[in-house]
Amino acid sequence: MTEHLSPSMLSALADGELAADQLASVKEHLDQCRSCTSNALEQALLKTATQKSAQHYAIPEEFQKRMKRLVAQERARADAAKVDRTPRTASRLRPWTTLSGWAVAAVFLLVAGSWWIERQSTIRTEAVLAEQTALVTEVSDLHIATLAANLPPQVLSSDRHTVKPWFQGKIPFTFNLPEQLPDDTKLLGANLTYLHNQPIAQLMYSIGQHRVSVFIRAKAGSEAAGKLPAEHSGFQVAGFSTADLSVIAISDVDRSRLSGLIEALEQAQTNGHV
Amino acid sequence: MTLLSWKREKGKADLQTSTFEDLAVPLLPRLYNVAHWLARNAHDAEDLVQETVLKALRGFASFEPGTNFKAWLFRILRNTYLTSRSGLAAARTVALEDELGDPTGPESYPEGIIDRETPELNLIRLSDRAALQAAMEKLPPPLLEVILLCDIEELKYREIAIVLEVPIGTVMSRIARARAFLRKELQGGSLFSREVRA
Repeated sequence: MTEHLSPSMLSALADGELAADQLASVKEHLDQCRSCTSNALEQALLKTATQKSAQHYAIPEEFQKRMKRLVAQERARADAAKVDRTPRTASRLRPWTTLSGWAVAAVFLLVAGSWWIERQSTIRTEAVLAEQTALVTEVSDLHIATLAANLPPQVLSSDRHTVKPWFQGKIPFTFNLPEQLPDDTKLLGANLTYLHNQPIAQLMYSIGQHRVSVFIRAKAGSEAAGKLPAEHSGFQVAGFSTADLSVIAISDVDRSRLSGLIEALEQAQTNGHV
Repeated sequence: MTLLSWKREKGKADLQTSTFEDLAVPLLPRLYNVAHWLARNAHDAEDLVQETVLKALRGFASFEPGTNFKAWLFRILRNTYLTSRSGLAAARTVALEDELGDPTGPESYPEGIIDRETPELNLIRLSDRAALQAAMEKLPPPLLEVILLCDIEELKYREIAIVLEVPIGTVMSRIARARAFLRKELQGGSLFSREVRA
């Protein structure tokens, strides 16, 4: 190798990413080239200096504790679900002479049990709340990304007989669209998008000048029911669930007008419009 | 590829939850550090980490034991960042690709970017941690993320390629550019100061 080493080659050398034959060739060149040797040294020094400098932001202790609690709560929730599925074993009768001792133990267990149940309930509630908040955050991100992209919907139509069939074969569920929409509300089209790696429908509506995203997804069997936050980052959020579907709408329109659309959608699922 | 097969398996998540805790909790400080660099403020960094951990927890059934959990987790962090407000804002800033031609080519930036005679001054500046941090803060997002994954998280090029969903050639090219950028910044020059608003 007679040519100077390329910057990529120098970087790969510093990162230990060269294959054996490349390394041999590079070493041979470095033995003869002071300039490249100097650059290789500087690359290695820069890497070390960057490593030190970039370890810059320490995680706040309180936040770390909160995250540990959150993960532990999720584990507790999963454990609790497992316990619920475990079949009960029959207890055996004890001699009456030990009844008083058992009575004390029973009272203790009752108190401890109540405390444990209450605590599990609190943990479950907090975990469900955290899940719902995370879900709304993701939905909000999808809505913002759609607005930012400023692209026409993948199916551009205000006709529900066009929009609904477009999803055939694209999503593992189906839904109904309302025949009558509230005043000033119009269907603009729809997108196929993804949430938690699952395909979902994103319906685009306009209410006046406001854009609304309505996300419809199949409800997971293990999904816990929880109340959605009413607002997220200034956006209004509303939704409902059926036995099979979970629907979330998000927009910057005022709440009453968004609720009108949600009610129409909910009614359509019940009444079975197209 | 293992990391791409994120299909859910019902019930598996329950069995693996405790393992997730064991794997994820020690990585929280690292996640936060990278999240802070990307989001550029503490509040957004916390949001980013929390969302990442919740997403990872929910999708843990699709993680295959024996593969690189850290790379898997950082990929989720990066994808979450891209759909966050700060990520979307950063995405609108086109920094380098158009200016330097083919991003996958190893020689796709000016030869003059490398000083064949390394000044001693450079070596002294490398020991100036504040100057290097200031230079890193100026790195365009595509170069910042690659240098964080390579130098801080010590991921291999092929792992970085999976996290960023780009070819290895692009990873190599971006790392070289990032280092060239840092060197220039430390010398007081700003080779890539031009930004184009999309």
